[in-house]
Order: sequence, then C-alpha cells, then structure tokens
Amino acid sequence: MAMEKRLQKELQALVNDPPVGIKVDADQIGQNLSEWLVNVDGAPGSIYNGEKFQLQFKFGSRYPFESPQVVFVGPNIPVHPHVYSNGHICLSILTDDWSPALSVQSVCLSVVSMLSSCKEKKRPPDNAIYVKTCSKNPKKTRWWYHGKQCYHSEYKTSLLGMSSMGINT
Amino acid sequence: MGNCLKSPTADDISLLRGNDSQDGSEASSEPPPPYQESVHVPMYHPAPNISRPASQLTEEEQIRIAKRIGLIQHLPTGIYDGSKKIRECVICMGEFCVGDAVRYLPCMHIYHKECIDDWLMRSFTCPSCMEPVDAALLSTYET
Repeated sequence: MAMEKRLQKELQALVNDPPVGIKVDADQIGQNLSEWLVNVDGAPGSIYNGEKFQLQFKFGSRYPFESPQVVFVGPNIPVHPHVYSNGHICLSILTDDWSPALSVQSVCLSVVSMLSSCKEKKRPPDNAIYVKTCSKNPKKTRWWYHGKQCYHSEYKTSLLGMSSMGINT
Repeated sequence: MGNCLKSPTADDISLLRGNDSQDGSEASSEPPPPYQESVHVPMYHPAPNISRPASQLTEEEQIRIAKRIGLIQHLPTGIYDGSKKIRECVICMGEFCVGDAVRYLPCMHIYHKECIDDWLMRSFTCPSCMEPVDAALLSTYET
C-alpha cells in the first residue's frame, strides 16, 4: 500500500537522521503506522525555549494525497495565538495548503517555526467557544487563515456579524 | 426454418434446467463462493480533502473534473532513463527506476505518472513548488 510504504520511509529517515529538537518514538507506533507521536522541543531563543511538546499525527489511507490530522497532545499544549487549548492548530499547510511533498518532518518544522515567530503567549481569541463546539478532528474545522489572526469560520461569521452591527472587535 | 426456431428453444430449456439443478446442488453442498471485491466505484476529488463517487458530484464539479482530466492528458509523459537530476518522486518518496513512467510538469518537476495524476485530480498545482499547473499550461499555449 502506497501510504504504508511512504510512512515506512519517513519513519526510517526521522529515526536515522532527526532534525534538532524533533524526536519520534518508533516503539510507540503501531504496526500499520497510522498514528504517531512526535516529541517537539521549543526552539532555543524563542519564548518556548526549554518547553517540551508532543504532536499526534493520524494518517488516513489517502496519505500523502490528503493531509494528516495533527494536534498537540499531552500535558503541555503551547499557549500560542494559533493553538487552541484542546491542541488543535490553525496552520494552513494542515488543510488548504497541504502538498504531498510535505512530510511529518516538514510539518514538525513548520509547527516549531510557527511557535518560534510568536512574541507573546496568548490563546486564540475564539478559544473558549471553539473548544466547546469543535469536532474532534481539526480537519473538519473550516479555518480562516489570514496573517497574524486565525479564526474558525463560525467565529469569523460572528465577527462579521458584529462589525456589520457597528460593534468594534 | 422450423428447425432453426425450434432447436434453440429446446437448448435454452435444457440449459436452464441443467443450471437449475447444478445451482441447487452447489448451494447445498458447497460453501458460498469466495468473497469478491464489490464493483469498483471510481472516487473523484472536487477538492483536495473531499472524495465522492461520480454519482454524487454536482454538474459543475463533473464538468470541472472532466476538464481537469483533459488538461492532465496534455502534460508530457516519458520513461525515466536515469539522466535526470531529480532522482526521487517526492510523492511516494521512492527512487525513480529506469523504465518508470513519469510525467513532466511545466515547472520541470517530475513525478511518477501514477503518483502525480492522483494528486492533479485533487489540486492542479505542483507539489514541490506549488506553482499552479494550468497557468503555466495556458502561457505555453499563448507563446
């Protein structure tokens, strides 16, 4: 199967030659490779320096043609404007901008780089309502990606609604 | 004439009877036939993360997919001969072997034909450089 063959190669590369701060625990990965846990370190020099995070990857049978589900799990979910307290990440390469040339490694590096560019530890503005109403699968969320802010679509709709009513947000 | 009409009828009946009795005995003495893959329904991808059978596509989506298939057929294909700089198909992460069917995109990235066609049906962009394939195609037609 194409998905397993490719994941096997990715796993091998990540175990043999891992980038700094990224470590996959191969023993935790089941036989069919469809679920991985990757340990990610906050980058030195960033406000997450010294923190340890864990990313969970879930691969469907159409991987790499379809993106994996990627969420933060475990005791330490980074406090970041694009990371919800339930671990969901608002990052366009995980949905709209996915490409089969991306990989577990490049996704991890993108997430670390997203964390590193942050100056202030803050949750997304719509965190409370999102974690109450979202699907378990972050790919089912309709994300709106625009520069610094990140909203799921229901929140955006309500924002637009408020501004059309003359309420400043 | 009479014979012509008669004999097939007789044959048909005998065949039916034969089949009937055979089927009956098979059903009682033998286990059910081995599992057969149900008829393969091709899936289409109106967007990268959406998969639907043809019967559940809107007319608009059907037209777009048909156009897409046509455009993909315009992209040049070849057989990998080992002379290219690109040695690996980034989609399957497998090395190209001499004799593999490959497809060339306008940005000069190459992939296994099977791998890239599967992707292009979802998104008409190059996986490596994200260059839209149709824009490049159109400009090559114009010049």
